[in-house]
Amino acid sequence: MDDTQNRIDAAPLPGTIELARRSNLGVQLLHFMMLNYTMYRLAKSSH
Amino acid sequence: MARVVVLGAGVSGHTAALYLKKRLGRSHEVIVVSPGSKWNWIPSNIWVGVGKMTADKVVFPLAPIYRRKKITFHQAKAVALYPEGDLNSPRGQVEIVYTDPTRVGKTVRLGYDYLINATGPQLNFAATPGLGPDGGNTVSVCTPSHAVGAAKRLAEVITNLKSGSPQTLVVGVGHGTCTCEGAAFEYAFNVEQQLREAGVRDKAEVIYLTNEHELGDFGVGGMTFSSGGARVTSEAWMESLFRERKMKAITQAAVTRIDPGVINYTQIDGTENAQKFDFAMLLPPFRGVGLTAYDRDGVEITDTIFAPSGFMRVDADYTAKPFDEWTAQDWPKTYQNPSYANLFGVGIAFAPPHAISRPYATPGGLAVAPAPPRTGMPSGAMGKVVAMTIADMILKGALTPTHHASMGEMAAACIASTGTGLRHGTAAAMSMSPIVPDNARYPDTNGRDPRTTTGEIGLAAHWVKRVLHTMFLYKAKAYPFWYLIPE
Ligand SMILES: Cc1cc2nc3c(=O)[nH]c(=O)nc-3n(C[C@H](O)[C@H](O)[C@H](O)COP(=O)(O)OP(=O)(O)OC[C@H]3O[C@@H](n4cnc5c(N)ncnc54)[C@H](O)[C@@H]3O)c2cc1C
Repeated sequence: MDDTQNRIDAAPLPGTIELARRSNLGVQLLHFMMLNYTMYRLAKSSH
Repeated sequence: MARVVVLGAGVSGHTAALYLKKRLGRSHEVIVVSPGSKWNWIPSNIWVGVGKMTADKVVFPLAPIYRRKKITFHQAKAVALYPEGDLNSPRGQVEIVYTDPTRVGKTVRLGYDYLINATGPQLNFAATPGLGPDGGNTVSVCTPSHAVGAAKRLAEVITNLKSGSPQTLVVGVGHGTCTCEGAAFEYAFNVEQQLREAGVRDKAEVIYLTNEHELGDFGVGGMTFSSGGARVTSEAWMESLFRERKMKAITQAAVTRIDPGVINYTQIDGTENAQKFDFAMLLPPFRGVGLTAYDRDGVEITDTIFAPSGFMRVDADYTAKPFDEWTAQDWPKTYQNPSYANLFGVGIAFAPPHAISRPYATPGGLAVAPAPPRTGMPSGAMGKVVAMTIADMILKGALTPTHHASMGEMAAACIASTGTGLRHGTAAAMSMSPIVPDNARYPDTNGRDPRTTTGEIGLAAHWVKRVLHTMFLYKAKAYPFWYLIPE
């Protein structure tokens, strides 16, 4: 049975710290560099 | 002089053609056959579909690039393969029909020494009555013109909302065997963001309708990844995101018919439902583009080269077996056709050995089984490895493929933008390695490498998505050092 909607309704919402982290320019700049590095490494390593 | 013909100038075919020419230089001929005059960066169609980007930003004309790179371009569609040639010559041939306005409808046969089938998908809107923008009741974002139509319809819905009329928007997939759920998910969140920006979100209901068994499956059986230092399933991750954005979701659904304003669907428990809508973007299922094949005597051998889905058979293990016996090793590595060694199928054009997610069906036998996605990163990688193999065959006399890239080993990154803007954009970035879970190698982490299977939501992921748009267009335009940008 599809209980997806019930699960969504019961899912945890992001807290204030998480929401701030998602848009904090310093944190996001760091994540941007990390994400680029991860993707570059994955692309180069797999073929 | 050897001749390599590449059918299709999408992500995999265009990548293959550029690498082939780079390796082979002027001594050998590279020919590209593709029906459209333009290259399309399909992932950014999502932004065109919400009116955030104009269609001309996601396409560019192919002819000038190929002229500059000394690649011959035929604006035509391939219709038939003659891998053994004909009674006059044993050289393989492909029959093409021009779509180029100067000679539209003209048919010729091109001889080849090596052929790469990179024809991608046929958008099979006909699989569901009422599906699609051409004579159907839904919009699509699969092509730039479809996306422009979707943006126009979305703008009308926003106008209705502004005048106080509540609207229901449904985004998802239009058949039980669809793939590309990631694209539908991404479009759903972009639509939601667009409604918020227009100040009408509270009057709109946004519903994601999918054949996935649970949210976050994405046709790859879901993921368990590290997110903010914790281990979390993609299902739980998505559920939080849906709640945060006040979006509804219907899973386990096979859409069976779309009437004006009503989507009819059956779920795996057998319930038959009708969902009303004012706006619906439902992706179609994919099949092969319908190439036929003939032997030297003109006897049809389509079934030898192509699977019933129309996709090309390659070096996969196509033995039918139950889900629990599927392994990452079933997946192809070289993309060489088992019957003809100079024939290769890459990107969406190759026939997958089986799905990746566990397939389900309704009690009435309707498949609710996401087809395996073949996204941009692996499609580009396949194009590159096949180009390298063919170059080694031509230049070094290699008898067997020299380069490999299996979806059972390759990683994929999926960046689903959930809103645009340099300061306020956001995206969900997921990476998984390998794409096809390898339970023998990673028995404790659902078949995936926990170090490289990650999830991240935030502004940074949106920046990455935007950078990818610019980088891939740069690479596809073959500007200086294009080959330094990985697939
Ligand atoms: C809306 C949408 C969003 C997406 N977003 C993402 C994303 O964010 N990230 C990601 O990694 N992937 C994404 N994808 C998937 C990605 O677009 C595909 O993985 C990729 O395009 C596959 O490459 P391909 O070369 O196999 O096929 P295509 O890129 O579709 O290219 C096929 C080519 O073959 C040509 N062709 C068709 N018929 C013939 C014929 N008879 N003869 C000759 N040529 C022919 C076509 O004109 C085209 O040029 C998305 C897909 C969609 C639909």
